Amino acid sequence: MTRAVDIQGLHKSFGDLEVLKGIDLAVDSHEVICLIGASGSGKSTLLRCINLLEPIDAGSITIAGEEITRRGVNVDDTRRKIGIVFQAFNLFPHMTVLHNVTLAPHEVLKASKRDAERDSTALLERFGLSDKASDYPDRLSGGQQQRVAIVRALAMRPEILLLDEVTSALDPVLVAEVLDQIRELAEQGMTMIIATHEMGFARDVANRVCFLHEGQILEEGSPEQIFSEPEQEETRLFLDRIIAAGRM
Amino acid sequence: MRKALLVLAVLAVVATACAPKTSTPTSAAAGDCTPSTMNLHTPGQLTIATGNPAYKPWYGGTSVAGSDWKSGKYTGDPHTGEGYESAFAYALAQQLGFTNDQVTWEGIPFGKSFAPGPKDFDFAMQQISITPQRAKAVDFSDGYYDVNQALIADNGSPAIGVTTLAGLKDLKLGAPVGTTSLEVIQQEIQPNVEPGVYPDLDTALKDLHNGQLDGVVVDFPDAFYGYADQIVGQFPPLSGGQEQFGLAFEKGNPLVSCVNQAIATLKSNGTLKQLENQWLQTDASVPVFS
Amino acid sequence: MASGSGPSPNVYFPPGGDSDPRLPPGSDSRWPKILGGGDSSARNVWIAVGSTVIFFGLIAVIVVRSPGWPEIKDSFFNGAEFRSSFPVILEKFVRNIFIFCVAEVLVLILALIIAVLRSLPGPVFTPLRIMAAAYTDLFRGVPTILVILLLGFGMPALDLQGIPDNDYVWAIMALTLVYSAYVAEVYRAGIQSVHPSQVAAARSLGLSRWQSMRHVVLPQAVRRVIPPLLNDFIGLQKDSALVYVLGVVEALNKATIIQQGDFNFTPLVALSLIFIAITIPQARFVDWLIARDQRKRQSSAAV
Repeated sequence: MTRAVDIQGLHKSFGDLEVLKGIDLAVDSHEVICLIGASGSGKSTLLRCINLLEPIDAGSITIAGEEITRRGVNVDDTRRKIGIVFQAFNLFPHMTVLHNVTLAPHEVLKASKRDAERDSTALLERFGLSDKASDYPDRLSGGQQQRVAIVRALAMRPEILLLDEVTSALDPVLVAEVLDQIRELAEQGMTMIIATHEMGFARDVANRVCFLHEGQILEEGSPEQIFSEPEQEETRLFLDRIIAAGRM
Repeated sequence: MRKALLVLAVLAVVATACAPKTSTPTSAAAGDCTPSTMNLHTPGQLTIATGNPAYKPWYGGTSVAGSDWKSGKYTGDPHTGEGYESAFAYALAQQLGFTNDQVTWEGIPFGKSFAPGPKDFDFAMQQISITPQRAKAVDFSDGYYDVNQALIADNGSPAIGVTTLAGLKDLKLGAPVGTTSLEVIQQEIQPNVEPGVYPDLDTALKDLHNGQLDGVVVDFPDAFYGYADQIVGQFPPLSGGQEQFGLAFEKGNPLVSCVNQAIATLKSNGTLKQLENQWLQTDASVPVFS
Repeated sequence: MASGSGPSPNVYFPPGGDSDPRLPPGSDSRWPKILGGGDSSARNVWIAVGSTVIFFGLIAVIVVRSPGWPEIKDSFFNGAEFRSSFPVILEKFVRNIFIFCVAEVLVLILALIIAVLRSLPGPVFTPLRIMAAAYTDLFRGVPTILVILLLGFGMPALDLQGIPDNDYVWAIMALTLVYSAYVAEVYRAGIQSVHPSQVAAARSLGLSRWQSMRHVVLPQAVRRVIPPLLNDFIGLQKDSALVYVLGVVEALNKATIIQQGDFNFTPLVALSLIFIAITIPQARFVDWLIARDQRKRQSSAAV
């Protein structure tokens, strides 16, 4: 079975600062990986590299058997297969919710307007957002906006979905609805790499948890392994801090 | 609040203090027309205003060192005494008792010759046609030149060979603003094509040579100056009577009567006619549009 | 000292000033009720009206009593001249409207092209970026009147085929070239004000650079810069008068024809009134747009 994502020896620097110092990560289809770690540990950067938003300095990324970091790769084609949702939702404010979702399928996948609208409406319905379809993003709550952002990414039928701390900017009361949506996606078998601070959620939904520390995957394993019996000192320190902050 | 009231009080004082000055009109008696007694802008000098550039044949010669005027193919320098108006100006000055170096020239845009308020010159001389409407804003001297208009065009223009006013109706003509030339187009031709109206003769001629215009209407003497390839014809006088050029003075300036006396003398002793013959070619053989 | 035993004996000038507890807070009982005593906002209106009348009245008095006023009045504010010249000038003003409307449409398009050219990323597009920047520098650097003169008298001399040889064409072309340079910068500012995360989101969905620009960036950019776009349009409307130097008989030319024929400046004042009449409502509209935008931003920030 071809791996969904295969990252080898990934290095990334911003000027003099090296942020990713050799990442090796293999993700199988339908697997859900959660990335945990302190701010600045490189979680966001890693996701943005996979999506080719950031060029890498060394190493390789292979998606479904195709190396996307080699020369001459069509970046737009690649991005169709990889969905990404950001912390700041980034919905297009000048378009309705429905248009936000149908834009890419119509322009990139060349779906007809009717088909795009039909499929998008179905998706919005599935995630309980169909009554917001003709609203503009500024009328939605933060949680609703984030869920629309996820639906927008799903509308492109990506092979994998990257989620970059999608609940960190939300009011605590709104976090749950987003996590529920992600849980559902996991149950339906979506391959996902999720960077998150929500440890309880990670424990619930992840097949594997990776702890990032100073640009490297210091420890990885099943949720039980990482959360109950972490091997590395830094992992333990990190988890202690999380518990102390009342987040677990 | 108190500060505001103070400001208003100050303004009120200023308002009452700005009482209108009573103007003292001076009337000129017959014996007051000597350089030392007449009402001059600058004592001892006759200050004459005209346009810059100054066009031939009204102003000619090669520009004098230090002058604001540049002579060229179509232009001259008032200081030279060459050209009809320049020559007339110096003849007039002499008649009034001035020497040549007591004459100074001011270059002004046309609007300054009739703008309200005190003038920086004694009178303006700029091929200004006398009309009753204009006489409300300035005082004119008696006329010093009878003005007629002609049409000039370049080779290949549809205007060439036209002999009737009706024949000009469909042509695109042009004239400088504020001139009798423009009135001729509007009154006598009443063209179907809107004429171009230009800030000065120079720009009108440019469009003529560019092919934008079929012809330009100019003062008759100008037509002989080679501004264009051919003179198509001359126009009958306007309906209001013979147009004349006059000198423009600030309203109420008593200098007018002195100047009029001088002009009368120059007319009666034949000087004006002689200057006309010397500087202005008018050929009676140029056909008149019918 | 509340008494409650009947009205105070002096209703119009009750004692006690601001400390009188019977009056609403903030009102000044030193003022008679008829002038707003007891209501501070009405008092403010009276003060505003009063000081305005006195202030402008004094200025009017100073002007009218100055020695040159009768001449000025006759020369610039002549009733008969105004009545006779206003209709003909207004009729010619239709040409100015034609000129600036056509020019504005061309400006909005050309400026957008220049702004997009200037924003193209990547080394291969460097010559286009340089051209766009040079264009902007050139036409913002030369006075508009010069551009009109050079084009108006230079282009016909070139004798190019295929372009109608018409002063209107050169005039509109000159105005378009000059104003496109300014508006291109406005567009550019708008494009740069769209947060890069919008572009990131669009590209992540697989939209190409051009698709992102067209569907995500430009619609937002243009909406944001509508007030400065309108301001530049107002500038263009006023500069439509400059084309008189080419001989085009639009409103300013007509006004100077009458001015120089009659030796009276009132036609120019009449034309100024026409310009003011059209530009002031637009300026207020721009103010309203900006205020509405600010209100929107404040309310969404509060949420």
